[in-house]
Amino acid sequence: MVFSSLLFLFRFLPAVLLCYYLMPRPLRNLVLFLFSMIFYAWGEPVYIFLMIVSILVSYIGGIAVDAMKRAGRPKAAKNALILSLAASLSLLAFFKYADFAIGTVNTLTGAGLSLLNLALPIGISFYTFQTMSYTIDIYRGDARVQKNLISYGAYVVMFPQLIAGPIVRYSTIDEKLRSRKESVEEFALGAQRFIIGLAKKVLLANNAGSLWDSINAMTVSDVPVLTAWLGLAAYTFQIYFDFSAYSDMAIGLGHMFGFDFPENFNYPYISKSITEFWRRWHISLSTWFREYVYIPLGGNRVSAARHIRNLLIVWLLTGIWHGASWNFVAWGAYYGILLVVEKYFLNPYLEKLPVILRHIYCLLLVMLGWNLFVFGDITESMTYLRALFGGFGAGFMNMETIYLICNNLLLLVCLILGCTRIPKNLCSRFCIRFENDHFVMTTAKGLFLAAIFLLSVAWLVDASYNPFLYFRF
Amino acid sequence: MNKIQSVGVTILFCILIFGFGIVTLINPDTEYSETENRTLAQMPALTLDSLLDGSFESGYEDYLTDQFVFRDSWIALKTAVERTSGRTQINDIYFAKDDYLIEAHTDTFTAEQAEANRNILAQFVELYAEEFQAEHMTVMIIPNAVDILREKLPAFASPYDEGDYLESLREAVMEAASGTIADADGIWFDARSVLQEHSEEEIYYRTDHHWKTLGAFYVWQAWAASCGYTVPALDSYEITTVTEDFEGTIQSKLGIHTVTDSIEIYLDPSAPSYTVEKDESGELLDSLYDYSALDTKSKYDIFFGGNNALSRITTEADTGRKILVIKDSYAHCFVPFLLSEFDQIDVLDIRYYNQELSALIGEEGYTDLLFLYNASGFAEDTSLTKLLY
Repeated sequence: MVFSSLLFLFRFLPAVLLCYYLMPRPLRNLVLFLFSMIFYAWGEPVYIFLMIVSILVSYIGGIAVDAMKRAGRPKAAKNALILSLAASLSLLAFFKYADFAIGTVNTLTGAGLSLLNLALPIGISFYTFQTMSYTIDIYRGDARVQKNLISYGAYVVMFPQLIAGPIVRYSTIDEKLRSRKESVEEFALGAQRFIIGLAKKVLLANNAGSLWDSINAMTVSDVPVLTAWLGLAAYTFQIYFDFSAYSDMAIGLGHMFGFDFPENFNYPYISKSITEFWRRWHISLSTWFREYVYIPLGGNRVSAARHIRNLLIVWLLTGIWHGASWNFVAWGAYYGILLVVEKYFLNPYLEKLPVILRHIYCLLLVMLGWNLFVFGDITESMTYLRALFGGFGAGFMNMETIYLICNNLLLLVCLILGCTRIPKNLCSRFCIRFENDHFVMTTAKGLFLAAIFLLSVAWLVDASYNPFLYFRF
Repeated sequence: MNKIQSVGVTILFCILIFGFGIVTLINPDTEYSETENRTLAQMPALTLDSLLDGSFESGYEDYLTDQFVFRDSWIALKTAVERTSGRTQINDIYFAKDDYLIEAHTDTFTAEQAEANRNILAQFVELYAEEFQAEHMTVMIIPNAVDILREKLPAFASPYDEGDYLESLREAVMEAASGTIADADGIWFDARSVLQEHSEEEIYYRTDHHWKTLGAFYVWQAWAASCGYTVPALDSYEITTVTEDFEGTIQSKLGIHTVTDSIEIYLDPSAPSYTVEKDESGELLDSLYDYSALDTKSKYDIFFGGNNALSRITTEADTGRKILVIKDSYAHCFVPFLLSEFDQIDVLDIRYYNQELSALIGEEGYTDLLFLYNASGFAEDTSLTKLLY
């Protein structure tokens, strides 16, 4: 089930809110757990067993690690941790990477092993990372053990962030799982955030996506340079608005149930360097890798050679986390190398450049990165790259380029503005101006939210086009 | 957010999701959408199997979307907002000059189906070319409005050039026939050039995907000349406007009302008398026109009463010629022009015909064969393999 669907908006959400708030506090985690299970099972009920196994493995792992530590047996605690992590990772490896591995072996040896063709269980990369963070944090003493299976299950399968994050570390919501106080202020904050996320997804991301699809459907060798860049820009917008909209909706839903999830995006496209970009993009994932891979490997407090090795390991893992295919590996390696180059060579020069050039530098590299990301195989990326730089001699632009720009002009303006702080600053100024005029503020806010909500519904009723990009991770 | 605002936003949000939630629950289901001209998805049956394989879930989502309350108004709202935002192409439909709504058919001709259908057509021609010879076998594919009315498209719009696809069809047909007959090129009739000459005239509907009877007339006139039939003049027909309130399929896709179209029928006073039998029903009708269709949404169905698998027209033309027309709905306003030239006109829609075509052709001993499709309809059709049975 996805948030941007009539099913979620008008069936699932009203039902879960009603049950949740009618239940006394001690039963609310149970409500969340049960509804999240339905949410997860919708469309692929068999994987509910996988979910239960994932929950049990890390739940028992957590208790075991905790018990060993208390018993003063650090070695046994470590073994329990390793066992639990290995179990979680093998589930992920089997369901997500088995076919990739088999395919690679086949290509290298010509073995001709048959593929498993398993459907990727939704959200597996996200919740596996959450369960791993739980047991590691207990081992490190950063989190308390959760003995209530329902509360722990609710954390793992919690539907707001189940499918596409943010990746919530257990320690950050431990308190709230044990006792939380929902309030009308928090609910309203959540509702507002959710509606904004919904509109970002349905009105901006989906439309950017259909622009990209229409350009991607053309014969690459006939695509003139400007059209190719327009297409890549459309995808660049689509993936940001799609993914950040999902995080907005997740964070908003979290607030509605009294949780406080971490932010996942911070205007990534206004970055002035790749290093800065990765501090602003998919923050919960970068944090996870920093906490559980980069720092344990020694981080940057080691020799330059080992530091570079650490960076490359983290970025290859980041790449492959995004999908079981070589283009994601290449995409990860691309960023690993860029970050190393920035840290060891480029930064002093970059800092001397005019700000506008630094923005252009960063955006160009990010867009070329998406060119690696978007295609399922590297050859296709290279072909599109050729079109981007006029390698097919298809000209700089044609009638169609102008038409595509004209037809999408307002959309493009909204997309560009949406990547900057401008809308937020305008809102803040409005809010300050009318701070004490409750009537104006409430009416303006209400009208705006109702309008974008109703428009989103109109698009959903009409649309057959409503994919979630991060669904497959 | 302070308390007043919070309460306001919370109430608003609850009204929106609970309000629409409840209204969609109690709103009675409808079987059929008049505006969209299709049956709507119904509540799927819940069984353990359908739940486990996911078909219940996807069926339920289709049901919810199709039965969503005020469905037409939502779609109209979306179209209106997109128009206001300056878009001239919405849902692959151009808002063209003179109130024409024109489907772009962006991916139709580059899809695999389009290529597969070209191969099927070639095999079909190969099967029957020798039997009918070029002078008695015609393939004509009528281009879409987007191809003929290019002048009316929004500035800079550059849709796929249907000429490329039609040319590839012509070559495929010629090549297929050249193995068995001498003048293989004679099988293909170039309807596109004929229509291009009249592109300034009212030859396509503004709101529907069909051509108007005038377009069909021009093609008939040119084809009759090439076959050596009596070439009629436009003023020899009694032209009757049967409705001026036709809102066609393209408008339905947008959910809005733009303009209405008129439908004309062309009656030839000198045409012989005839009877029509639909789908071997045994019931003989005395008219090709079904006036009751004018009371419904799909007014184009006045021609032939819509799609039938096989309609048999028996005339008193006494020419000794029997023709089989294999067609889609573009032929519905074309076939009436044939009355004077054939003793029997069998009109076959292969999409609905589930018997062997070769058996029919063997039994009936036709003298002529006409294959008439609209270009996008032909390229997208998924049942053409039945031509080879």
